[in-house]
Amino acid sequence: MESSAEKIWKITWQERFQRLQNLLLELWRDKAGFIGMMLICALLFMAFAAPLLAPHHPADQDLMARLKPPAWSPNGSWNHIFGTDHLGRDVLSRVIYGSRVSLIVGATVVFAAGVFGTVLGLIAGYFRGRVDSFIMRWIDTQVAFPGLLLALIILAVIGPSLITVILVLSFNGWMVYGRMTRSAVLSVRETAYVEAAEILGCNSRRVIFRHILPNLTSPLLTLAILEFARIVLAEAALSFLGLGIQPPATSWGLDVAAGKDYMFRAWWLVTFPGIAISITVLAINLVASWMRLISDPQEREKQFARQMAALKRKHRRKEGAGA
Amino acid sequence: MNRMRRLLLTGLMLCLVGPVYAQAQEIVIALGSEPTTLDPQLREDGGERAVNDNIYETLMARKPDGTLLPGLAAAEPRLLDSSSWEVKLRPGITFQNGEPFNADAVVYSIKRIIDPQFNSEQMSFFNTIKDAQKVDDLTVKVFTDGPDPILLSRLYWMKIVPPSHSKDAKFAEKPVGTGPYRFVRWNRGQNIILEKNQAYWGDKPQIRKVTYRFVSDPGTRLAGLKAGEFDVITNLLPEFKDQVPKAIHVMGLEFPIIILHADAGPTKDVRVRQALNYAVDKKALAEGLFEGFAQISPGQLLSPSFFGFNKDVQAYPYNPEKAGALLKEAGAAGVTVEVIGTAGRWLKDREMVEAVAAFWDKVGIKSKVRIFEFNEYLNRLFDRKTRADAIFVVSSNELMDADKSFSAYYKAGGIGSSNTDKELASLIDAARTETDPGKRSALYHQAVKRAHEQAYFVWLLNIEDVYGVSKHVEWAARVDAKMLVGEMTVNK
Repeated sequence: MESSAEKIWKITWQERFQRLQNLLLELWRDKAGFIGMMLICALLFMAFAAPLLAPHHPADQDLMARLKPPAWSPNGSWNHIFGTDHLGRDVLSRVIYGSRVSLIVGATVVFAAGVFGTVLGLIAGYFRGRVDSFIMRWIDTQVAFPGLLLALIILAVIGPSLITVILVLSFNGWMVYGRMTRSAVLSVRETAYVEAAEILGCNSRRVIFRHILPNLTSPLLTLAILEFARIVLAEAALSFLGLGIQPPATSWGLDVAAGKDYMFRAWWLVTFPGIAISITVLAINLVASWMRLISDPQEREKQFARQMAALKRKHRRKEGAGA
Repeated sequence: MNRMRRLLLTGLMLCLVGPVYAQAQEIVIALGSEPTTLDPQLREDGGERAVNDNIYETLMARKPDGTLLPGLAAAEPRLLDSSSWEVKLRPGITFQNGEPFNADAVVYSIKRIIDPQFNSEQMSFFNTIKDAQKVDDLTVKVFTDGPDPILLSRLYWMKIVPPSHSKDAKFAEKPVGTGPYRFVRWNRGQNIILEKNQAYWGDKPQIRKVTYRFVSDPGTRLAGLKAGEFDVITNLLPEFKDQVPKAIHVMGLEFPIIILHADAGPTKDVRVRQALNYAVDKKALAEGLFEGFAQISPGQLLSPSFFGFNKDVQAYPYNPEKAGALLKEAGAAGVTVEVIGTAGRWLKDREMVEAVAAFWDKVGIKSKVRIFEFNEYLNRLFDRKTRADAIFVVSSNELMDADKSFSAYYKAGGIGSSNTDKELASLIDAARTETDPGKRSALYHQAVKRAHEQAYFVWLLNIEDVYGVSKHVEWAARVDAKMLVGEMTVNK
């Protein structure tokens, strides 16, 4: 009796492989999501293999050859395909190297702030009462506290570095997840299936993570994507002020911020790192919308219904042809 | 058809003439920052100065080329004994609110600014002035703390305020001076409007009305000038000199330098400090980064027009091989040097630090760049206990005399100095109280030479002030960076 129950819950390796295969198949079917995934892989590859890909060292300067336009412009040269910046450094190499900081900061902060905010939001929304008011007042207090001041305090304690940036941005960005999750939980927890799960005797943890959380994936993923783009630029603002990464390291956002002053004469300083940011955000967007489709129960239901309808139509057509 | 065309033409002409007529003899100046106050004696604030330089006047003035001449004083003040001066005042001048300008006003202004209770940020300009006394209605005695050879330069910085109006609680918002322009309105966050002072005692200015606008972003200032919204913009980036109707530039008062720690760390060795000087291609900085709107600093914190300039001292030439050899000799090849800078405070501050660090890296130094937020940066700059190996700073010298920058950065114990050279300090101290100009300048020549040999700094550039000006404004920029609207003219 017991062994058969265990068997039901146990997932064999074969089944796991089967699931992964299904997942990849679904990704392949969703062309937009597939392109997004390819782009993300390419960006990650670029970040890892930066020294192999970059034609120059990102900090090599040549003050007499500064602000040279991209290769296809009248004065450009193929030595600097995307031109040079205000200190005569190669823009292409800086874009390639800049991906490291931008991707690390963006991903880490979204993950850390997202997990923390979501968990607190789930707890606040599910348990309500005193826990709820405590967490919500905490969020209110922290939202009211100026972010730059917080950054300065942390800077005074641990000094400017990549870790500082991640800490400051995570510490400053989780509240929005918390608030949104809580408001969504408040409505979801009144639904019949949550009530059913509670009556069946599921413990709180199971109800929260198994029955409530999956229903929050679409808004959470949307929020996380929006936050990613914001974080990449926020990192730039901090680094530009001297609260973040220090030269000669660079990031896309930092290059955009530094190139802004020269925009009227050298558009390529802001354009190429800017394009890199947009491509990243676009890729994440595509993948996230696919993930939303496969993870949100409601979306899955809709998808299932669509597949069924398609199957039925096919069937009917076949029957019609047969007659 | 013909009538239509004529109507159209008239309309077009009206459109063209209309705004020109309305704007005649009115100009708009875009500044980088809004004044924090309009009290002329309280803050050390560039925005405040740009506006108040036109409302208030000082006992001494300067020609555009920097030569001192009497302003509100009737003649150059006379030295009575080693520490007291007699100042004769111009008769018949009144403040814009009708208060008379006389000895009382001058004594009051001096006492107001040196009062420790008032806690003026400009005190560093006046710390030798001890007291002032009225002799008669148009004569004032000024007492200094020991001999003060540059009192005249100090008086050129002190704005004279009206005694009774300055006690008004609203004084900081409603300035009243003796100058060629009078205050009209301050719409906070938007603009400040000044109007010609019809009762001005000196040469009447041509421009009738000035509006100051505050635009912190250099790109926006440029766009505004190109669109005809502004007539004069400050701190034009050298990159845009070809995009504005007129770019005027003049040797400025700003000197970017890097202070080296002479008592500890890798920079303790004079050979390392010299190597750091040889390693930097100053010509590339001036002609590349500043597009020619900067001069190579001749190995001292002074420009040729300043008192104390030593023309025999030259900049360290760019010589990376020699720098590398010196480092090897000192056993400091591959050593880490921490360099501290800030971003967004001075023209191309961040860029200069990054560029210098890259030059150092080329000769075998491992430079560790630290760009700090401005307040944190100031903490490091003025930290007397632990000095960083290298600190980037832009020193500006409004008194145009060696004393100010030397006491701050050259002399041991100065707010931003990183050396404990007793000989250098004694030279600077001796010059401070020496009233004979010949002897005094000889002392400074020695100080300049000594600091240069010891390479206490990496001297970089002397930056020019660049202004963007619209087609119909005529103006010759001043070496003291004052924007006197009275010296501008409009031709349209």
